[in-house]
Amino acid sequence: MSESLAVAKMAAGRRKKAVRLDEDRIGYMLIAPFYIFLLVFVLIPIAVNLYLSFTNYDLTNADWVGLKNYRILFSDSFFHVALKNTFVYTFFTLLFTLGLGLMLALVLNRKLAGLPFLRTAFFMPHITSMVAVSMIWLWIYEPSHGLANSFLDLLGIRKIQWLFDETWAMPAVILMSVWKFVGYNMVIYLAGLQSIPRHLYEAASVDGAGAGRQFFNVTLPLLTPVTFFLFITGLINNFNVFEQIQILTGGGPMNSTTTLVHQIYNRAFNDFQMGYAAALSMVLLAIIAFITIVNFKYGSQSHE
Amino acid sequence: METTKYRSAVSAVMLILSLVMLIPFGLMVLTSLKTMGEIQAPQFVFIPQHLSLDNYFQAMQRGNWAQYFGNSLFITAVTVVVSLLINSVAGYSFARLRFKGRDLLFLISLIGLMIPPQVTMIPVFLILKHIPFAGGNDWTGQGGLGWINSYMGLIAPYVAGSFGVFLFRQFYLNFPKDLDDAAKMDGLSTVKTYWQIYVPLSKPIFATLVALKATQSWNEYTWPLIVTNSDAMKTVQLALTLFRDETQVQWNLLMSATTLIVLPLTIIFLLAQKYFIEGIVTTGIKG
Repeated sequence: MSESLAVAKMAAGRRKKAVRLDEDRIGYMLIAPFYIFLLVFVLIPIAVNLYLSFTNYDLTNADWVGLKNYRILFSDSFFHVALKNTFVYTFFTLLFTLGLGLMLALVLNRKLAGLPFLRTAFFMPHITSMVAVSMIWLWIYEPSHGLANSFLDLLGIRKIQWLFDETWAMPAVILMSVWKFVGYNMVIYLAGLQSIPRHLYEAASVDGAGAGRQFFNVTLPLLTPVTFFLFITGLINNFNVFEQIQILTGGGPMNSTTTLVHQIYNRAFNDFQMGYAAALSMVLLAIIAFITIVNFKYGSQSHE
Repeated sequence: METTKYRSAVSAVMLILSLVMLIPFGLMVLTSLKTMGEIQAPQFVFIPQHLSLDNYFQAMQRGNWAQYFGNSLFITAVTVVVSLLINSVAGYSFARLRFKGRDLLFLISLIGLMIPPQVTMIPVFLILKHIPFAGGNDWTGQGGLGWINSYMGLIAPYVAGSFGVFLFRQFYLNFPKDLDDAAKMDGLSTVKTYWQIYVPLSKPIFATLVALKATQSWNEYTWPLIVTNSDAMKTVQLALTLFRDETQVQWNLLMSATTLIVLPLTIIFLLAQKYFIEGIVTTGIKG
């Protein structure tokens, strides 16, 4: 009797184990398609890239050269210029998209008439491809008949060569990017503002806080997680700037707009210096990893 | 409180600002209707004299645009369908099933969120080139072009999408545990539970991801630039840059073609704006 009970118990246990194994198997099966693509197109490439950066691979030969690529990199003036341009582009694009995005969101948060139209208008550039946007602005910046110079002409100001001018090319690219990205930042800020409970403002105004103090003591602190998110993602996205550079200026004039990814693309797919370009990619990866780690470390605190 | 006067002043300023934002689009459409004579006139011409779609027909004859649109449409459709299917089952598995190493595997998959494609474009290109048995390759992946210059090469790297998996997982985590128990009582298998209960309940997240993925795929430029080299494989974004390479750019034709490639997404956006904006907002706030 007790023996058969033990047998029954064991059988039940085995069945439970079988069910568990089954769930294990289904679990793996369902993530497998995703994981295969992740492995082949994200995880393995990182390792391959690291390996390539220690070789002089040029699509035919790959000899191990150790740290040579990284040593060249430190004295490569193109790399230095590209790094500087990338920082300049990122700094100003981020500053203006965050600042203007917040300002626009604050104004739109008053339940204005025609809000859906305003939001659509500001958001339109975000869904338009960078290629299309670049083509339109290429035409705006055209020196003799473009809109920008026609406007300056109207005001009686001397025409600017825009994308053909070393000083103006980068500001022109930044202006276009701000136009493209500001609506996205605005929409996210607007959602952040709408999630701040009204009673906090009521309490603040009971305590005698004016509009300015309410902004600095209620709005801004409660928007910190949103700002942080926009800052980090914006930092990474802007750091990878390539498409508008490739189309608008091709990095010129005189390398005044070449960026890190633009250098990677040129070295790898025009000069076929795959090894060296892989080393450049590792620098980019290191910068992005650094940003992400900072994000993890301080981001989790601000979410409290 | 604010007076209505003040409020309407703010409204007016915002209206003007939003119109300024729309100027480039207006310029695009107006230029597409102008003649080169009007474009090169000493005085800037705002409204073209004769409204005709001539430029559009001319622009579409510069190259094989039926092919380019077909390519872009096909790539976008396949990427959206395949990635959504793969992402949602993975997200469901990570959220609702228990299996060994689940949390670690999920954590590793988040690396895909952090690594921008620009960092890995060289190795991904080389991996595609060496896919065994594809494009004239032998079993070691040597000898041919692999998936370079093929639909597979344009689609495969964009199918994984850690971001989609992350979103689906977050979404499915909110479902009550009772749902699974009830399904089990009814004798539904895990896969059936997903298909008959979870999928119908997750229409909003599917719509959001369709919007995000389709936009991303249709608008992609860098990857087609790297992985294709023939006219037959060109996407619309890539084909548009052909106009720019001419010595004398015909702005009216370029703007006609630009209008045409912007139009499909714009129409979808205007019709389903909710999903575009809500999707971006939820990912922004919770991401």
